[in-house]
Amino acid sequence: MTLRTDHVAGIAAIIIGVVVLAFSGDLPLGSLSFPGAGMWPKLICVLMIGLGALLCLGASSSRPIAEVGWGDMRHAALVTAATAVAIAFYSTLGFIVIATFLLAGLVMLERRHPLVALAYGASVSVAVYALFTILLKSPLERGLIGF
Amino acid sequence: MESTFDSLLLGFSVALRPDVLWYAFLGCLVGTLVGVLPGIGPLAGISILLPATFGLDATKAVIMLAGIYYGSQYGGSTTSILMRIPGEASSVMTCIDGYAMAQKGRAGAALCIAAVGSWIAGTFGVLVLTVIAPPLAAFALGFGPPEYTALLMLGLIFLAYMSSTSLPRTLLMAAVGLLLGTVGIDNMTGHFRYAFDIPELGDGIGIVPVAVGLFGLGEILSTPSANVIGKVLTPKLRELLPSRTEWRQSAMPIARGSLLGFLVGLTPGSAHIISSFLSYAVERKLSKHPEEFGHGAVAGVAGPESANNAASTGAFVPMLALGLPTGPVTAVLMAALLIHGIPPGPTLVNDHPDVFWGFVASMYVGNVMLLALNLPLVGLFVNVLRIPYAYLYPLVIMFCIVGVYVVNSSIVDVWIMLGMGVLGYLLRKLGLDPAPLVLGLVISPIFEMSLRQSLIMSNGNWTIFFTRPIALVLLVVAAGLLALSGLSLLRKRRDWRAQLAEVEAGE
Repeated sequence: MTLRTDHVAGIAAIIIGVVVLAFSGDLPLGSLSFPGAGMWPKLICVLMIGLGALLCLGASSSRPIAEVGWGDMRHAALVTAATAVAIAFYSTLGFIVIATFLLAGLVMLERRHPLVALAYGASVSVAVYALFTILLKSPLERGLIGF
Repeated sequence: MESTFDSLLLGFSVALRPDVLWYAFLGCLVGTLVGVLPGIGPLAGISILLPATFGLDATKAVIMLAGIYYGSQYGGSTTSILMRIPGEASSVMTCIDGYAMAQKGRAGAALCIAAVGSWIAGTFGVLVLTVIAPPLAAFALGFGPPEYTALLMLGLIFLAYMSSTSLPRTLLMAAVGLLLGTVGIDNMTGHFRYAFDIPELGDGIGIVPVAVGLFGLGEILSTPSANVIGKVLTPKLRELLPSRTEWRQSAMPIARGSLLGFLVGLTPGSAHIISSFLSYAVERKLSKHPEEFGHGAVAGVAGPESANNAASTGAFVPMLALGLPTGPVTAVLMAALLIHGIPPGPTLVNDHPDVFWGFVASMYVGNVMLLALNLPLVGLFVNVLRIPYAYLYPLVIMFCIVGVYVVNSSIVDVWIMLGMGVLGYLLRKLGLDPAPLVLGLVISPIFEMSLRQSLIMSNGNWTIFFTRPIALVLLVVAAGLLALSGLSLLRKRRDWRAQLAEVEAGE
């Protein structure tokens, strides 16, 4: 049997439905005349499991998973990793430092000159900081080093 | 009718205030840029800029954000015509004949027809909205929880029926959104659901991190810079005016696109995208020279561009009159109103006439602004397209982080955004549309509340949905749509939705 995209989506939906149902044990189902906090999520879990099964059954019309192109995977992984690092240190180091390194790092990944990348990162982050803090009155994170 | 006219005058007195005009202009300008730039859709643009409206009053905030929405429909045509890259999903069809016209040296004419068509359609949409939204809101005042439950059910099924992907796929995405919407404190009993002792999750998962992650970051993750082509055709200003024949060829497609777009816009789903596909199909069908389509047919630009603008205006009707979002963009606009303490829905017209009518009037003004912006400044927007993508996408990521963080000053929200970005990337790989997920997230609390209230009202009797006439009619329509979908599934017939999916996949 060829594994297809709808098989993957359907199985994922069934797993999520079952896991969430398992986590919903302490939520009261209530009664029909007074539904509890667990009724709605459990109803949706059952719906998800049903739709997941339906998707698996009708998967023959979807694309084989082997045909899905993953050429952009490297780019996606690098961007995700860089964004995760930026988020992890955002509160500690503050906006200007983090944004400078994030912008410069991503521009350097695109094979641009490091000095150009750094100048771009620093100037844009200072400009955005000023835009939000001064013009839009929505202060950004200053971090431990004060800016 | 007279009271509508008086109310509209009140709206213009709000919309023509210099400070309000400024924010409408800002929204239109940013919207055009969002539409022009590939990789940033209106949803990401609105979500990222939502925090910037916190310091404004509700009227200015919603006027600016709506300006971004309909401005992006105008801007999307520029990249489609000049680069054959849809700046916005609803401009996909414009790529085909718009770019073909540009290659024949008629880029200016194509841009002008797209802009004028968008203006006519946008203004037509606002005119109809002005007339039908207030009576619809008055009618909806009689809705109770059972009617809302039935309406939401119909909305979800209609969304799935209209979707170009299969019914189970769309409903599955909506179900994921509905499930995400259950996170946080249960409003009726105070139970914490799936919060895992994270205090920030007590208020639930916000629309902004989910929308920005799925549509902003997700798009960036699946677009490596090597895939973005930088070749741009530059039209000369004197070439902007179409010939008399081109005007004649575009008149009826604009009229049909406006009507079709508005009607499709009223329905749930990605109406502005669907309407442009439908309009293109209708024009090709009605044309005396269908062989010209794909080779620079004027109707292939005029129809879809008018339709997507009329649809974006039509989508405001259910949002303003019923308090129901028909798509993720209107969902974020609703969130903007709620953040400012104004619940959208049937009571909006009477309780906040300045917001309602100011918003409606601003759309008349906004459409004129966009026409003035898009034609003379096309050269400027073309220059924006020359910014290398390698510099542009890191900037978008930074705005995603800042935009999400500023809403609640919560780093948890930013992590959710990153998670949603990865999910958005994977969903694209599996060919699943993330838009129903956002819609599900937004309507989940309203749906749950109205369902539970209905059951409490009827003392647990399910037949309440069948004994109230409006609810019954809505449920019968929903059942009919389900039956139609089931039938086409059984016959494995290729209907218009399957053909639409093929075109989308091809593009």
